Amino acid sequence: VSRDLLRPAKVGAGVALALALVLMPVYADPYTLTTFIRTAYFGFLALSVGVLLGQGGMISLTQTAFFGLSGYVVGLLGTERGLPFPVPELLGMAAVLALALVFGLVAMRTLGTVFLMLTLALGQICWSFARQNTSLLHGWAGIRGIQPPALLGVDLTGNANFYWLSLFLFGLGLVLLWRLVESPFGLALNGIRESPRRMAALGYPVYWMRVAIFLIAAGYAGVGGILACWSSGIVTPTTLQLSRTIWILLVVILGGARHFWGPVLGTVIALWLDVVISQLTPRYSTVIGVVFLAVILLAPNGILGFIEEARRARAARRAEMGGAGAGERRAP
Amino acid sequence: MRLAILILNGLTQGALFFVLGSGLTLAFGLMQVVNLSHGAFYLLGGYLGLAALRLTGSWAVALAAGGLSIALLGFLFERTMLFRVRKGGDLSQTLLTIALSMIIADLALAVWGGHPLSIRGPAALSRPVTILGITYPGFRYALMAISALIALFLWFVLYRTRFGMAVRASVDDRETASALGVRIDALYSLMFMLSALLAGVAGVLGGTYLQLSPGEDTTILTYSLVVIIVGGLGSLLGTVVSSVILGQMLSFGLAFVPEMSMFLVFVPMAIVLALRPEGLFGRRT
Repeated sequence: VSRDLLRPAKVGAGVALALALVLMPVYADPYTLTTFIRTAYFGFLALSVGVLLGQGGMISLTQTAFFGLSGYVVGLLGTERGLPFPVPELLGMAAVLALALVFGLVAMRTLGTVFLMLTLALGQICWSFARQNTSLLHGWAGIRGIQPPALLGVDLTGNANFYWLSLFLFGLGLVLLWRLVESPFGLALNGIRESPRRMAALGYPVYWMRVAIFLIAAGYAGVGGILACWSSGIVTPTTLQLSRTIWILLVVILGGARHFWGPVLGTVIALWLDVVISQLTPRYSTVIGVVFLAVILLAPNGILGFIEEARRARAARRAEMGGAGAGERRAP
Repeated sequence: MRLAILILNGLTQGALFFVLGSGLTLAFGLMQVVNLSHGAFYLLGGYLGLAALRLTGSWAVALAAGGLSIALLGFLFERTMLFRVRKGGDLSQTLLTIALSMIIADLALAVWGGHPLSIRGPAALSRPVTILGITYPGFRYALMAISALIALFLWFVLYRTRFGMAVRASVDDRETASALGVRIDALYSLMFMLSALLAGVAGVLGGTYLQLSPGEDTTILTYSLVVIIVGGLGSLLGTVVSSVILGQMLSFGLAFVPEMSMFLVFVPMAIVLALRPEGLFGRRT
């Protein structure tokens, strides 16, 4: 893989993409910039779902609860009680990790479909709590007027500065996740995904490793939630409702859950699709639902999985034709 | 007096939970697929029942229309889509049901709008009934009776018919049952249809006793999932017990801590899962 990364064409494309992203505020209009900011915070949520599904083989429908929880804590303590940065944010992350520990200890006792059902129920319970609780969380109205803090004297309320912060944090999140996936812990997780029983027999603490990855995933959702409430200024029960949870799951599966870049690609596509579809019809959910159906029926491994299969099929054909391109075929 | 009313409220709620949970849990026990559009089936069944009521004026026709239309929808969905991804494993099938629920919920919103609607119950049951000095709405007694009848019917089907025997055999050992001549595919279709039928019927019952509104689908789905997780997946008896428990939790929760009533259902679920991950009456796998 490393040899492949050093190819001049790839390096060139990478540098060009990085430059285009960093210089975005210079040339892009505010609407585009806002869409990219949304890509960053929903990207964190997608990574949260993606790491559990892709590395751990678990479909969790609780992740938006963590996304909403950090937002609620920031709104409650920062905006309403006036605690200074970074106290509400740190407490928000602490709350996310504490809740993830409780949920993880319960949910990791189950596997597969039962895990999915259980996480759905847990997420819904959080949502209904946010909806029913009027004394603290203001029910449907939620918390409004949340603002990003000034960091090192830099005002983050401006679109450009906030974009750079989002880009930096998202890039950092990707690098850390990449290191995690490639680490022995990440490889052991893949083993657990394929055969939990065998990994347990090999002496791996399967239960606790799954709890650990659940905490890490919740952390990603929590960071995304803080960015989201800073950017949009509000946090309401809608932030954690089920349709949002399903949408982000679709995003991850659309991109390709088994692939590192799948959740990122899915988020980019879905948000731009949102922009396009919303102009055409108010039935966004129906369209997304039909896309979801089609992806599961026709390309269950998502876009990146589809590309990989096509490439492998071509390489296999070439190898059959006389072995000309056989050397190029790599192990996945 | 107030205590009796609260208990009756809990029983009514539990009766509805049983109609919802029984179909879901039996289908899961057989097919290992949890139908996450069960809540959307409930809502759509209720809306279609309401449409039938407006056309004919008969509540019984509404009940039949809601149930049968959803049974048909379930049958078509199973035959055309669910069936195709069976090789992809239970998770692909579950994801497919999520996609379906999204589409149904959004289209229902487009057709019936965002305002809560409710189905007017049969005239004969509209008056309160006094039993043992406690006055309580007649329809709610009827709901409990209908739910009990459904439980008896399901027990009979499962333990006294050839279909039930084939289902139980397939739950125990699919390969052997198949080798002995049980047509697994047909069994799956019938079971999914039965489960959808119950969701549609529950929609009309729930639409009469509560309300139909967007978002109700996910709330109902959550309750149904909690009921079958607590009861033990695939267990009819477990569903009866957990429906009653959760109905009471919700009734007393609404009366004493209304802001946390739904949060409260988490407590029995967490306790059961911590001590018996397979549920109260579930089988250890």
